[in-house]
Amino acid sequence: MNFVSKTAEDQCWDKQLISKYDIAGPRYTSYPTAPQFNSDFSSRDYQGEVTGAMRDSITPLSLYVHIPFCENICYYCACNKIVTTDHSVSRRYLDHLATEMQLQSKLLGKRRKVSQLHLGGGTPTFFDAAELTELVHLLASNFNLSDDPGREYSIEIDPRTVNEGSLALLKGLGFNRLSLGIQDFDEQVQVAINRRQRLPMVQSLTNAARNYGFKSISFDLIYGLPMQSPASLSRTLEQLVQLSPDRIAYYNYAHLPERFTSQRAIARQQLPSAAEKIDMLELIARSLKNAGYRHIGMDHFAKPEDDLSIAQSRGTLRRNFQGYSTCLAPDLIGFGVSAISSLRNSFSQNEKELSSYYEKLDGGELAIAKGLRLTPDDHIRSAVISQIICNLQLSIELIEQEFAIVFPEYFARELVALRAMESDGLVRWESATLVVTERGRIMLRNICMCFDKYQQQPSATVFSKSL
Amino acid sequence: MIISSAQENNETAQCPHNHNISCGNCRLGSICLPLALGSDEVIKLDEIVQRGKPLQKNEHLYRDGDEFISVYAVRSGTVKAYKITGDGQEQVTGFYFPGEIIGMDGIGMGKYTNSAKALETSAVCEIPFHRLEELSILIPSMQRHFFQLMSQEITTDQQLITLLSKNSAEERVAALLLSISARNARRKLSETSFRLPMSRTDIGNFLGLTVETVSRVISRFNKQGLIAVDSKEVSLLDLPALKAIANVKVDS
Repeated sequence: MNFVSKTAEDQCWDKQLISKYDIAGPRYTSYPTAPQFNSDFSSRDYQGEVTGAMRDSITPLSLYVHIPFCENICYYCACNKIVTTDHSVSRRYLDHLATEMQLQSKLLGKRRKVSQLHLGGGTPTFFDAAELTELVHLLASNFNLSDDPGREYSIEIDPRTVNEGSLALLKGLGFNRLSLGIQDFDEQVQVAINRRQRLPMVQSLTNAARNYGFKSISFDLIYGLPMQSPASLSRTLEQLVQLSPDRIAYYNYAHLPERFTSQRAIARQQLPSAAEKIDMLELIARSLKNAGYRHIGMDHFAKPEDDLSIAQSRGTLRRNFQGYSTCLAPDLIGFGVSAISSLRNSFSQNEKELSSYYEKLDGGELAIAKGLRLTPDDHIRSAVISQIICNLQLSIELIEQEFAIVFPEYFARELVALRAMESDGLVRWESATLVVTERGRIMLRNICMCFDKYQQQPSATVFSKSL
Repeated sequence: MIISSAQENNETAQCPHNHNISCGNCRLGSICLPLALGSDEVIKLDEIVQRGKPLQKNEHLYRDGDEFISVYAVRSGTVKAYKITGDGQEQVTGFYFPGEIIGMDGIGMGKYTNSAKALETSAVCEIPFHRLEELSILIPSMQRHFFQLMSQEITTDQQLITLLSKNSAEERVAALLLSISARNARRKLSETSFRLPMSRTDIGNFLGLTVETVSRVISRFNKQGLIAVDSKEVSLLDLPALKAIANVKVDS
């Protein structure tokens, strides 16, 4: 015990405080969040949204394509996926993507520039070279793809499914950002999650990606995995920092075996304790800070010179279902099973089952299963939450101007809830701007939840814990 | 010997410039689109392939920004792809030899992103892309094969571009020679002895080197006994040594 007053950093790591805020909450890739979508919203509603106000829009588009297939099952996974080693499934899926793109292209027109494109999964690289080429060809023939160097065309990579040649192909197809699924470098952890990938392989892929001039290389990792300990994690962090990716997403593993069947293969007793997880979180934040990364918020870190950091400093950072973005368009169109589209006034989600997705498209209609039209209140709260997550601050004045409301009246109840967070040091007021403190960054979800109308009502939805 | 083998060793009936040739009897069938097809299917492919008069030297196949309509298979001669840079300079982006498909750069954008012109008298087969798509519905293996070819093309292009952007003059020249050698091998032509149909200026432009540097490196390789050069005729005398210099896999 020493008598020197705590440093700012120590204060960030008040473990009691962290436990206090360790409650279930959404990651706010959208507001309202996906559990609020309902089946009253049909493809006819979607068409109405597109052909109404948006008809003559010349603003850019964001596109997302979901490829649900994986060759192997990773036990931690909570994504919508189909595990198969039978690659003949790709043909049928590509044919339906083609139908879906043609239908969407007819609605949206081919004029709007695609500023952002993301291929996610599942495993996008389940598709082989020829299939990926065909997919990009389908996109290019139905939409206005761009070769602007400022575009953000990214793809999620399972390092076990690619080689240097595949990276050359992806670069040639126009992708300029890669996101590698790393999870953890420790062999025991890799065995426990059924995802073996050796460090040298990741090393050589990272080098190759740099060699091919990918603009930004992002690594996805997870803490709280089975067999993980603060000691094993610190080795992973050392190796991570050595590989020096431009961006890092360090997600919290949420063990919800009752919802995600693949997680049932993970024995609860192999999971680190809540206290260990807090140590891990501290370790991650400190190691990455020492290595020069900037904590963007919501599990994301980036080098100061990366576009993500620059956009955050300039206040131009945006957030969507794929995480943070520097050039998100006002409308995002999702393709493939379970994909979500986000238009300026609505959200819609495709069928989650492959058979229903195919059936609807075979009948010549979009495969939309559910959605939601934003109310004026949703718009206001969405803007508030987005400002907090992306800018780490909230300008009362901007919100009042944009929506013609009196903030202290409109959000009287929320401001009371914020007072407790203020006294816990998560936020502070700088005149009429709410600023998220360094300590508050790891509790961003909690701060956002104050403004989430749907969280204020009792709900049966199970979210993963926020930390 | 890319050109001489094509021009001299064939009978008139099989002359690669002859536009009466069909996919079924084209000697490039084994590396070009018919590769994955049965003989009935080749006939169907043949119906959509258009064979016009050979291109004359410096004649354009398409220009940067033209709408993407067709891909082209080079049947004889050599085609050069290039872009005009922001400051109005020509930047050579590739050389295409018989059996190789050109124009696929257009597929990503719906328009060509390079210009293509003949370096010498060259015959090309035009394959209208929408017809190819129609045909693909009839012949699924055709579609797959086409996208496979295209992905290979994009991959090797990108590998070469990257390699050229990084390395020393020696490495770049060696890499180009090895690339031509590997592509010849794929066409069952000589791996070690060929004619360089392009000028030193074009080579230099493509490699990002001055003409003087290209000539200096070539004569150094010549002196070291790695290659033998007689005007445009080149023999690779020491492949392993050249590979060691290039220090990379040029062709997958």
